Amino acid sequence: MAQENITFTLPDLGEGLVEATVLEWQVAVGETVERNAPLVEVETTKSAVVIPSPHTGRVVELHAEEEQAVPVGRPLVTFAVEGAPDAPGIVGRVPAEEARPARRVRLRPPTD
Amino acid sequence: MTELIERAAAADTPAVELSMQQAINRALRVLLAEDPDVLVFGEDVGALGGVFRVTDGLQEEFGDKRVFDTPLAESAIMGMAVGLAMNGWRPVPELQFDGFAYPAIDQIVNQVARMNYRTRGAAPMPITLRLPSFGGIQAPEHHGESLEALFAHTPGLKVVAPSDPGDAYSLMLQAVRSDDPVVYMEPKARYWDRRPVRLREPSDPIGTSRIVRPGRHATLVAWGAMVQRCVQVAELAAEDGVDLEVLDLRWLKPLDAEGLAASVSRTRRAVVVHEAPLTAGLGAEVAALVTEHCFRDLSAPVQRVTGFDVPYPAGPLEPQYLPTIDRVLLAVQRTLEY
Repeated sequence: MAQENITFTLPDLGEGLVEATVLEWQVAVGETVERNAPLVEVETTKSAVVIPSPHTGRVVELHAEEEQAVPVGRPLVTFAVEGAPDAPGIVGRVPAEEARPARRVRLRPPTD
Repeated sequence: MTELIERAAAADTPAVELSMQQAINRALRVLLAEDPDVLVFGEDVGALGGVFRVTDGLQEEFGDKRVFDTPLAESAIMGMAVGLAMNGWRPVPELQFDGFAYPAIDQIVNQVARMNYRTRGAAPMPITLRLPSFGGIQAPEHHGESLEALFAHTPGLKVVAPSDPGDAYSLMLQAVRSDDPVVYMEPKARYWDRRPVRLREPSDPIGTSRIVRPGRHATLVAWGAMVQRCVQVAELAAEDGVDLEVLDLRWLKPLDAEGLAASVSRTRRAVVVHEAPLTAGLGAEVAALVTEHCFRDLSAPVQRVTGFDVPYPAGPLEPQYLPTIDRVLLAVQRTLEY
């Protein structure tokens, strides 16, 4: 399946923050990371937070060194993501379709 | 009269494989092309093509005067639809998620639904509100609701919820061409449902249900994403020698009392399944209609399998909240044993 590169930019982690400093990368270039797995710990003027990965994919590039300050909106990580035609868009996930769904209840046919 | 899903004889186009997203997109294309008054607008429907890709490519094809983005203001989106409709346009607004419809309820209930009545027919509201609806995609709070009872209870609105891509296509054509306001509830959980589709012009009148699967021991009544769940239940029940009919209501207002009664009069048992909470949900309306029309034929009281009387839960709790296969099977068993 086709791959596409997606660059994740630093979001505003508080209200009106302008930058964050990278404390520790929790992934390395070449690694495959799952969506929602810890990506990077950053420090803002308010707190230190771990940003979860927004994608499942392979890390292609880290755009900042540790200890480096990154302005909000600037690239943080580039992922190579499998091009999925059934990607859910922005919110939620595609429900898994079970070919044969599990059941516990058995029916007794009516006598009439 | 209800129709069978296998109505191959009426096929007017070759089958193409489409998801529900794509089928609705095709319908919107047809509507934009056939009627220069049709306008598609909402949050992110233009440049982005919609968060669920339903309006993908429409702005490129029809231009940003007819397919356009709006501010993040649901009340303003519906208010704009009212003004456009009064000036002769045929608006197809989208509210991005059903949970975001609440800020627009004033416009929907006080203006969209009443304008025709208020003006004695001088200002009809040919508006089709596209509303990505219901749960099943494990989205956060406010991104899954089940508002059909609220809209069906509002005089002046028509309400429809398709359950598969082919029907979504025809029903969208029908909704937008109607001069009455229609709330078109798109079941998010079925957006990716991909199957061979014959793109058909609507053939059944507004307010017609359809039998998705014929059966003789009981009728499962559903709409939207719960139709597929009921089909699964029917397939499992067949293994036990129980033959279930699945009736897709499709139109929740007007509701097909005749089709419902015809089915339940034959099967003599009914189980209605919906995602919304139990109390004062549309299942109560279905149960009342069945009782009214089929009282002498019934072998058991109508059973309701629904969400619980709690706020629609966020993602991780959805599988516990939505009617499960076992809960539907238990309700069927109760009607069989009554």
